[in-house]
Amino acid sequence: MRWVRVKAIARRHWYVLLRAPQRWFDVVVWPVVDAVLFGSIGLYFGTQSGGNGEQAAGFLLAGIILFHVLFQAEISLSTGFMEETWSSNLLNLLTTPLREVEYGAGVMLFGLAKLAMGVTTVSLVALALFAFDVTSLGLALIPLVAILLVVGWAIALFVIGLILRVGQGAEILAWGAIALIMPLSGIFYPVSALPDALQPVAQALPTTHVFEAARGVLAGDGLSWTQIGIAAAESAVLVAGAIWFLVAMLATFRKRGYISRHV
Amino acid sequence: MPEVAGDLVLRARGLVKQYKRVRAVDGVELDVAAGERVALLGPNGAGKTTTLMMLLGVVSPDSGWVEVCGYRLPRHRSEAMEHVGFAAGYLPLPERLRVREFLQLFGQLYGMRDPAAKVELGLARFDITHLGGAMGNELSSGQRTLVGIVKATLHQPRLLVLDEPTASLDPDVALRVRNGLERLCAEEGTALLVTSHNMIEVERLCERVVFVSGGHVVADGKPAEVAAAFGRDDLEAVFLHLAERAAEQAAEERL
Repeated sequence: MRWVRVKAIARRHWYVLLRAPQRWFDVVVWPVVDAVLFGSIGLYFGTQSGGNGEQAAGFLLAGIILFHVLFQAEISLSTGFMEETWSSNLLNLLTTPLREVEYGAGVMLFGLAKLAMGVTTVSLVALALFAFDVTSLGLALIPLVAILLVVGWAIALFVIGLILRVGQGAEILAWGAIALIMPLSGIFYPVSALPDALQPVAQALPTTHVFEAARGVLAGDGLSWTQIGIAAAESAVLVAGAIWFLVAMLATFRKRGYISRHV
Repeated sequence: MPEVAGDLVLRARGLVKQYKRVRAVDGVELDVAAGERVALLGPNGAGKTTTLMMLLGVVSPDSGWVEVCGYRLPRHRSEAMEHVGFAAGYLPLPERLRVREFLQLFGQLYGMRDPAAKVELGLARFDITHLGGAMGNELSSGQRTLVGIVKATLHQPRLLVLDEPTASLDPDVALRVRNGLERLCAEEGTALLVTSHNMIEVERLCERVVFVSGGHVVADGKPAEVAAAFGRDDLEAVFLHLAERAAEQAAEERL
């Protein structure tokens, strides 16, 4: 792997972010909207039910902040690749020495910067408007964030594989896949609150165990390493599946000459 | 670098590509020697672009193999592409990048740590230094083509592959492209493999032409020799003859 190529790809996407105002929605607008929305809902319902409004808001805000780790990781990698298809740059890239792993590393590097901006925004709004400090989760944040980051990237690899296979019609999944995972992962509620039929599906998602572990920390029960262990194991399976799928779709892309869709 | 047969920069043997019921390429064999200027010609649907894509490792052949500067594809695609430059007249430049940023990006993708000097040299070679600060989507199609060629030559490739480089260019810009390419090939010994529908340009630029029709190589030689082999005066007439024959064959297949 050549570091100069990885940096070049990361810089290319940085330029796109700087010059595309709509891209700032992901890192500024949605984080602010989500923090205000979920903080307010928590505060209102927590107070209405005679409980501690700030505590309820804290549960929802912790959920949405961690969700943004997943969202930003996934969206930056998948839209990074889509940028190449939108600007017909795929053929240019495929005819250079750039390796697939170098391209992925470059977009992920850029994605980390974007993720830092998005998560910082949502965290600062939560702190400023609702006095919720996400760092109150302490060192537990490290495994929680790490697993969500890896899951976000794995989902993006699936989405990229589908775009290579079926074309731009699969782009909606960059946003749709996360929207499907959101209710099933129990971001704001325990899995037991889901309909019975959906609970096994939820348990199979690594994200569910991450959010369950986060709620445990917020409730003062400490970090459940059992939940983290299950999440890590499921993430490893997901990553392996995503890499296998992407490699297979790339082979199909080359075999069937699908580059003609992108020039 | 691996051992290369003779001074060949490109070797392709038995390339076959089938898309559903269409056999786009059917046993193409091609050698290009260092410094040689070769045109790959043929009517629409002849299999030129599919052949080029296989030579570049973008499309996998159903059978056959490609070797670039001694590196076999697809296993050594990355190493092979370090010696290849590619530009196509139909490719836009990525939006939201200035020309210099675009060229710096590709210089680095070709492995250059600081390509700034090469970028300026390339812009000057094709007289487009003044475009360095322009955004990619502000350029005309001719200017885009020139920038694309600068991109493809930044790393002094041993093989330069150009797909329709002068399509939609006015004669003045096309001349500038041709002169720039001739200078490049002469100064750096770069081999050129080019597709074009402009036969006059091909006769001026290339010393060898390879005609493809129906997925096969049907002629390979010096322009005058190929024209003579078909009993025609020039490449334009050969091209029209092959296009007519391809249309007749297509009509027969429909019946």
